[in-house]
Amino acid sequence: MEVSFSKEIEALRLGAGDTFHGEGILAITKGLLQSGVAYVGGYQGAPVSHLLDVMVQAKPYMDELGVHVEACSNEASAAAMLGASIHYPLRGAVTWKSIVGTNVAADALSNLSSPGVKGGVLIVVGEDYGEGASVIQERTHAYALKSGMCLLDPRPDLGVMVNMVEHGFRLSEHSNMPCMMELRIRTCHVRGSFECKNNLAPAISTRALMEEPAGFDYMRLAHPPVTFRHEKLKGDERLPAARRYIAENRLNELIPGTHADLGIVVQGGLYNALVRSLQQLGLADAFGATDIPLLVLNVAYPLVPEQVADFCVGKRAVLVVEEGQPEYIEQEIATLLRRRDIQTPLHGCDMLPAAGEYGVEVLATGLAQFAQRYLPQHAQDSAQGWLVGNRERRAAVATQLEAPLPARPPSFCIGCPERPVFAALKLAQQDSGPVHIAADIGCHAFGTFEPFSMGHSILGYGMSLASRAGVSPMMQRRALSIMGDGGFWHNGLLTGVQSALFNGDDAVLLIFKNGYTSATGTQDIISTPDDEMKAHAVDKQQSLVDKNQTIESTLKGLGVQWLRTVHTYHVDKMRKTLNNAFTSDFNGLKVIIAEGECQLERQRRIKPWIASLLKKGKRVVRVKYGVDEDVCNGDHACIRLSGCPTLTIKDNPDPLKVDPVAVVIDGCVGCGLCGENAHAATLCPSFYRAEVVQNPKWHERLLHSLRGAVVRALQPA
Amino acid sequence: MTTMNRTQPITLLVCALGGEGGGVLTEWLVDTARHAGYAAQSTSIPGVAQRTGATTYYIEVFPVPLTELGGRRPVFSLSPVPGALDAIVSSELLETTRQIGNGMSAPQRTLVITSSGRTLTTVERMRPGDGRTDAQRLLDVVKAFSREHHVFDMGTVAREAGTVVSAVMLGAIAGSGLFPFPREAYEQVVRGGDTSAPEKLSKMAAASLRGFSKAFDIVGTPRAQAALVTRLLSSQGDEAPVQPTLSAEVARAFPPPVHDMLALGHARLVDYQDETYAALYLERLQQVLAAERASDSAGAHGFAVTREMARWLALWMAFDDIVRVAELKSRASRAQRVRNEVKAADDDIVKVYDHFKPGAPEFAALLPASLAHRVTAWDRRRKTPFALPLKVGSHSVAGMASLRVLASLRWLRKRGSRFAEEQALIERWLAAVVQGTRADWRLGHEIALCGRLIKGYGSTNEHGKRNLLHVIDHLAVAPLPDGSPAARSAAIAAAREAALADEAGTALDATLVRHGAPPRPVIAQPIRWMKRPPAATP
Repeated sequence: MEVSFSKEIEALRLGAGDTFHGEGILAITKGLLQSGVAYVGGYQGAPVSHLLDVMVQAKPYMDELGVHVEACSNEASAAAMLGASIHYPLRGAVTWKSIVGTNVAADALSNLSSPGVKGGVLIVVGEDYGEGASVIQERTHAYALKSGMCLLDPRPDLGVMVNMVEHGFRLSEHSNMPCMMELRIRTCHVRGSFECKNNLAPAISTRALMEEPAGFDYMRLAHPPVTFRHEKLKGDERLPAARRYIAENRLNELIPGTHADLGIVVQGGLYNALVRSLQQLGLADAFGATDIPLLVLNVAYPLVPEQVADFCVGKRAVLVVEEGQPEYIEQEIATLLRRRDIQTPLHGCDMLPAAGEYGVEVLATGLAQFAQRYLPQHAQDSAQGWLVGNRERRAAVATQLEAPLPARPPSFCIGCPERPVFAALKLAQQDSGPVHIAADIGCHAFGTFEPFSMGHSILGYGMSLASRAGVSPMMQRRALSIMGDGGFWHNGLLTGVQSALFNGDDAVLLIFKNGYTSATGTQDIISTPDDEMKAHAVDKQQSLVDKNQTIESTLKGLGVQWLRTVHTYHVDKMRKTLNNAFTSDFNGLKVIIAEGECQLERQRRIKPWIASLLKKGKRVVRVKYGVDEDVCNGDHACIRLSGCPTLTIKDNPDPLKVDPVAVVIDGCVGCGLCGENAHAATLCPSFYRAEVVQNPKWHERLLHSLRGAVVRALQPA
Repeated sequence: MTTMNRTQPITLLVCALGGEGGGVLTEWLVDTARHAGYAAQSTSIPGVAQRTGATTYYIEVFPVPLTELGGRRPVFSLSPVPGALDAIVSSELLETTRQIGNGMSAPQRTLVITSSGRTLTTVERMRPGDGRTDAQRLLDVVKAFSREHHVFDMGTVAREAGTVVSAVMLGAIAGSGLFPFPREAYEQVVRGGDTSAPEKLSKMAAASLRGFSKAFDIVGTPRAQAALVTRLLSSQGDEAPVQPTLSAEVARAFPPPVHDMLALGHARLVDYQDETYAALYLERLQQVLAAERASDSAGAHGFAVTREMARWLALWMAFDDIVRVAELKSRASRAQRVRNEVKAADDDIVKVYDHFKPGAPEFAALLPASLAHRVTAWDRRRKTPFALPLKVGSHSVAGMASLRVLASLRWLRKRGSRFAEEQALIERWLAAVVQGTRADWRLGHEIALCGRLIKGYGSTNEHGKRNLLHVIDHLAVAPLPDGSPAARSAAIAAAREAALADEAGTALDATLVRHGAPPRPVIAQPIRWMKRPPAATP
């Protein structure tokens, strides 16, 4: 795993009287333990990866408590795991990135929600919406509505978040509804503190096992005829129970304001942004004391109709602050006001944008309209000055810069094993002609950015092979599907490989076997080289993914006949293999396994190893590539085939030449791609590979000094 | 409300690139605030930006000590508010400007501390010409849209201190006095609570502290900053090449504005081939000078055509071939340069392997035309063109010897087929420049500048020559819808820029067509044909 959580694991052990300092998502993790959670599962993905990562690394402590932690193969298996709470009084929590993860889990979630749960269930989803998001922009809210799950949206204050975790389990048990908790990106990464409670060891646990399974109870199955009864129960019993609990425990917060005849209903997660906007408009103070009363929905679904009605009735106007579309909450409030014939004017998406993150500036702009209309006496000059100033400044900078600044998207790491494959693919397409490329989710999606700009579609994690099933039969040239080993195990094996084999598709699949789900923080998967292997490796610098053959044996077992394994850094061989796959007479599924261990993981292993060798005064060879500035032709073809952060350009030292020359800067890990490309693409001969031998052996020194003398004699100045 | 209720948090936006330790920095800041007894909060949006992308961190600190808040807790914003920032601290100049462009910095309020260093984006690096954003323009934006600004090379400071840029940024923040924390509060946190003397500290913590205090002084004391900047500038200047001198008679033959470039060009060709070849260079340049004198007798344009030709003609005449490359790679100065580049210690052994892949054309280049023709013909008959991937160890006796042998083939170059071809092409270009200049000074100048299109080796070089000749033939000579010299000059200038815009030459073809010239002919290229038959009809 990319990060080591030793410090955080210590924080998990804190008890009553201690104060926790750290990230929001880790506070949630602590909250789970304080709630006596019995089992935890999930699938990694920003911004919630850390929840599971920490628990996995904290296994010894989890065993102490009797908590089972499962790193699930995908979100569907995580959701299915919650089935444990249907029959048994077990509190379970799972986590994943949403919307995508919830989509994958949808089937199990429906089948979980229908019978309902006995033990409390909490689904912690990273609401990957707005700035910094890496997925399609949709709301998780819809799933809560359609499956009848509660949706918690706590105010981004660590204390409140942890409190809502504990309430979430109880709410789930009171209503038999699974609870989701949506945490926005910044909420997961917010650094704050809260007063801890002791962790609760679950009553039933891996240490205290159940003796007997539950008796047979058809009502607990998601199967007709009881599904019809479940559907009724949702409305007749579960929702009312949930609403009772929410009201009685005051999960939503009512914050009074001097202008009692106005009100704002806000999702808990947006509270801080709202308060700052009010501050900017001079309608709130630094401590959140506000002029306009607020109803803070720490539970975004279900609403408590009485609570909302009481808040709205008699007011001159109410504004609903709800991020993303459709505006479910605003619609529900409108309906319930209409039903009760409450005539309070309702505002929301008429003053606030329907799409995109609600930052302070966006909110303030909408609030300014609201205030203008209902508080005309309130002076807005400074706020308006600020808003106009922002607009004018942006315009001024744009004019001064003339051209827009180049974007800086994430890219392959230095020495990434996936970069060479895209270089080979670029070259192969010069031989065999352009091909349709079905891209996928994972680091390799960076191949869609410069300098490669490759990929026609992304249909989901592990979906690339399936997503070309309709394309390849319609095209003269073969289509290429690119998939990471993460995506392969997440579902590509079944949705793609199995289907292609069954249908006898003429397809080309390239699997990046880097050994981890790297994009999410290099978590281990079933094809990760095991730790003993790493420990015993003599040369810790080399890639070790070849030591685990699970993918290969799985494919063979499934009946894949055309299977080639190529080390990714061998650009020329990869190019040939791709050409071969594109043009071969074999018309079935052709799989190329691009083998090369994630460079992040390799460096995590190499750095301490090298350091220890140097400390002991042992011989170490360090490789760095370089460019001869007087030979480089300043055309940068090498960069268009690589994009490595350490292969950049600098002013041409030759006063005659004007175009910048390529240069390899510090940080080069000597992966070898520069040399491979120079040969494969017949680039200019300016590249050299330098091997620096530290602490050389005596005979090495001797040989070198003799050789050096001759070489120097041959050299001109 | 009381004044304190109106008190706003101190707000700081940190811009960094993935892997620069921005996370550590924010943790340091929050811990410092805590130990100093102030309420603070930080957020970030790392996402996948840890993979070298741009990323930001946001910190708020309430300026009143917790003890004076009477148990009340300020509500912090999770995201930076444009125009409401007290400071922006950034490790990369373009990212600083990007945030200013997003409206983040308010000239009345915001202090901007930015590194002068650039980490070039892929788009800037991949252009065939020079795609870099003008750093001066970025700096102007920083100056224009900040209350106060400090600019220094954080990367260099970090390197000198042997630490990472996050420690430097922390020092800069501390030195700016943005937050009400004493210097010790920061240092305490960097030490990780370790109170032992500097020499007893862990290597990492010690290095961090060095970087911290350097930056602290730079930002805290403007004089130190000025001193450092000048030192950096001087350290950059030390690689300035020695300016060769011209013989008196050559100097007499050419106007002073041309001299420096002429001297470089002449020296280059002596070094490349010999005095006679250099003489040919002078003679060719004389033609240009004559033409320029004819169209601009007063030298109102400072003999820019001759000057530019002195540059581009020298570069083309010293066209790159294996002989030249072998010469350059086998020099002692080069071996030393490599040692420096890889930062090898004195008793480290450095082995250098050079990547060559000469093909049939490279060898044919050195053969007389008839023989060369046969070689290339043979090469064309092959399924894949012949090429010899070599890894020559220039640190080894055999490797160096073979390089020297190749380099010694200079005499063969002149008799080789490529030499003849290049001379012919050079003459065509030269003629175009001379005619152009006589017709209209600017036209000649633009054609001269097209020398920039000629670069490098093999395909790149072929490609460049094709483009140049096409531009000359169709924009300088052939009839155009608007054949006036002014129109031709404009067209050529546009075409030259376009040719350096993208590899495929899409922009160039578009420009050509726009000015009424034909696009470049498509070059035949072998493709491995794979055609799946459509489904057979039953």
